[in-house]
Amino acid sequence: MVSEEKRKEILERLKKGVIEFDEDMVKEAANEALEVGMDALDAIMNGLVSGMEEVGNLYEKGEYFVPELLMSADALYAGLDILKPHVKAEDIKVSGQVVLGVVEGDVHDIGKNLVKMMFEVAGFEVVDLGKDVPLEKFVEESLNTKADIVALSAMMTSTMLGMPKVIEMIREKNPNAKILIGGAPVSKDAAEKWGADGWAPDATNAVREAINLVKGLKREIMGDKSE
Amino acid sequence: MASSATDRGEKRHRIIFQPEGKRGEFPPGTTILDAARDVGVDIESICGGKLTCGKCQVIIEQGMENLSPVTEDEQRLLDKKKAGKNYRLACVTQFFGDVVVYVPEESRGGEQIILKEGVELSVSIDPAVKKYYLELSRPHLKDDLGDLERILKALKEDYGIEGVDIDFEVLRKMPDVLRNSDWKVTVSIWNDREIIDVEPGYKVEESYGLAVDIGTTTVVGYLTDLRTGEIIAVDSMMNPQVTYGEDVMSRITFAMQNPDGLEKLSSKIIDGLNKILQNTCDQAGIKTDQVSDMTIVGNTGMHHIFLKINPEHIAMAPYVPALHRSHDVKARDLGLNITEGGYVHVLPIEAGWVGADNVAVLISTEPYLQEEMWLVIDIGTNGEIVLGNKDRLMSCSAAAGPALEGAHIKYGMRAATGAIERIRIDSETLEPEYKTIGDAPPRGICGSGIIDAAAELYRTGIVSKNGRFNLDLDTPRVREVDGTPEYVIAWADETSIGHDIVMTQKDIREIQLAKGAMSAGSQILMKEMGLEKVDRVIVAGAFGNYIDKVSALTIGLVPDVPLNRIESVGNAAGVGARIALISREKRNEANEIARRVEHIKLAVHPDFEKEFTKAMFFPHMERKRYPHHEEILKLREKGVEE
Repeated sequence: MVSEEKRKEILERLKKGVIEFDEDMVKEAANEALEVGMDALDAIMNGLVSGMEEVGNLYEKGEYFVPELLMSADALYAGLDILKPHVKAEDIKVSGQVVLGVVEGDVHDIGKNLVKMMFEVAGFEVVDLGKDVPLEKFVEESLNTKADIVALSAMMTSTMLGMPKVIEMIREKNPNAKILIGGAPVSKDAAEKWGADGWAPDATNAVREAINLVKGLKREIMGDKSE
Repeated sequence: MASSATDRGEKRHRIIFQPEGKRGEFPPGTTILDAARDVGVDIESICGGKLTCGKCQVIIEQGMENLSPVTEDEQRLLDKKKAGKNYRLACVTQFFGDVVVYVPEESRGGEQIILKEGVELSVSIDPAVKKYYLELSRPHLKDDLGDLERILKALKEDYGIEGVDIDFEVLRKMPDVLRNSDWKVTVSIWNDREIIDVEPGYKVEESYGLAVDIGTTTVVGYLTDLRTGEIIAVDSMMNPQVTYGEDVMSRITFAMQNPDGLEKLSSKIIDGLNKILQNTCDQAGIKTDQVSDMTIVGNTGMHHIFLKINPEHIAMAPYVPALHRSHDVKARDLGLNITEGGYVHVLPIEAGWVGADNVAVLISTEPYLQEEMWLVIDIGTNGEIVLGNKDRLMSCSAAAGPALEGAHIKYGMRAATGAIERIRIDSETLEPEYKTIGDAPPRGICGSGIIDAAAELYRTGIVSKNGRFNLDLDTPRVREVDGTPEYVIAWADETSIGHDIVMTQKDIREIQLAKGAMSAGSQILMKEMGLEKVDRVIVAGAFGNYIDKVSALTIGLVPDVPLNRIESVGNAAGVGARIALISREKRNEANEIARRVEHIKLAVHPDFEKEFTKAMFFPHMERKRYPHHEEILKLREKGVEE
């Protein structure tokens, strides 16, 4: 069993690596965590995810901007790739399933990728349909996977017009799914008019929402340990 | 819209716009913006009523109780803009009773100015329309050859021209023209194959064409002497379609959502072009039907809307245009008032969003004739980038967003009177110096000023390379308002709008996104071409003044080159339209080049996200890509300007 001191030290490096978007630092710390027999889920939740929360805070304060978020995400994924295969199956509590993608006609997916990452670290099982996704596909996949959440993204005013169609189709066939929409042209009024359950005016706000989601869910998964 | 309901006798409410006093009566539920458009009051509306820009604020002087309630989205924008009491957004506020509305200065559209000259290029003159003077033999009983055949015979005998046809409308008027002019006429022939005009007398020296650049924001027309290539008159106007949304995408959406949307957009631009035609002809003292040829350039969206082709499919992946090649269409079919038989030549499209405007930039800068590797960047809402030389050309389109054109920037505005177009900040005192268009008191910042501001804030350390404001500086100009840092460029008492003009943290973020997309585009093209550096950079784009080379290099809007290897050429698209007007060879070249350029789809390129991330830093996260950076920074330090 790894000493509490060593555990803290490794967690600190995982966290720092994510905050300072230092992939090498993260990889090294992740490998060491496994070598010394640390619990992989502990390393993920209290190291990597904890670092991402701090990144979220810095972002909210305006210290960090999109490039820092993207780089931190890369560092986080570098660590996840190493640690995830070692998480014990019984420890994985899936918080829910998300189907997400960029609507038909639109190929801009940076915002969607950020949101996806946040869902993943929050413990969601994410089905990423990618970009330029045919509208029917959202409906099909939401049924196939029994998704709790369907998240739609659009960067262009023209492609955004596909959203109400998807919402209507999902409401008809899968009335229990929650629908989140986001992207630069989407407004709160539009979201309400189309009957979406949630919205974000742009990619950055979606991230903020996702970050809050992570915080809430992490408490659920880890209990008081993470606080 | 509102005016179409005039005759139905329904209840109508009066609206008065101050300070101009313009007024009109409209059915209940009309929005203030629609009413303003109808009575000819110019209110800024950048987002086209999508509640993102908040620029269309108006003050309700009377009739507050007759308005639709404030929605949450509207309130959010009003709060963000710190709007005072009785402020509403014109685009969403409907009136159900009489109202008096005051349009504050910052919400008014300004008079547009534009560069009237770009690069001059040597082009051999060979216009599509040429004029020939004919003195025909008068027919008599023993020479009863038909009128047209008589003209064709003379064309062959006098000029060796064969295989010519005639426009139907011209044919109809021809017999009278011949007889009223004593059989002495001037014949205009289009592309050696069609008679498009028959005029009485000797008119060979009066040969005119109009070259037009339809920009998303600005439309410019150059009345040109087809025999010399000289510009006789220039006229420009704000694209009249802006009332339906300031960017291409909102206009296309407008066309998609309204059954008569495309019709409206298209007739707006046709009316606008007829005005430009009339104005330039008035300046030159000629009649509009003396203009016998026309060329059009514009981005793919403007191109389709001008031709009244459904633009929906270019707004959706895979972004396929209706056609790539150039197209010739009778001006009368579009409703343009040049000579009745005349054609309009619309330049070709390279790929989805790399449109006829970019082809025009290419034929006016000619990177495809060079040994050296040139990078040509046309900065706009959609920044188009071309890299290459005589052997190979690649292009991409970077969705830079409208920040560099003034939208999404708190005090951003178009290049109009009172726009700050140049900014310098003293490294010691951190005090700015600025120049406005028309030397008027400032009321906002236009594109060239926005790029300058970012460059100067970064150079003087007020903003760090990651775009964050430094708040530990000893100057009242850097301050925090509601937790958002900003820099004061002009104090309220210097301005015509009565409050401080600032650059905020959010503005810098918007510039980072725009600059990041453009720069990532350049870097990816260089990588695809296998290049570490380019030999020359040409920056096109007109945002008031020419874009400052030093500023562009300072923030890394363009890839690193020594200062003497970068050139700012202004409105190169307009120059391309003029060249196509006077040179058939160049028209062919345009078609050939448009098909030769290899198009890279940036948004789906595997390296895009990485490059975009790195390119959002000033000048770039990988400093080794900017070996001349220190040198460039020092130039301004010493006050050297070129």
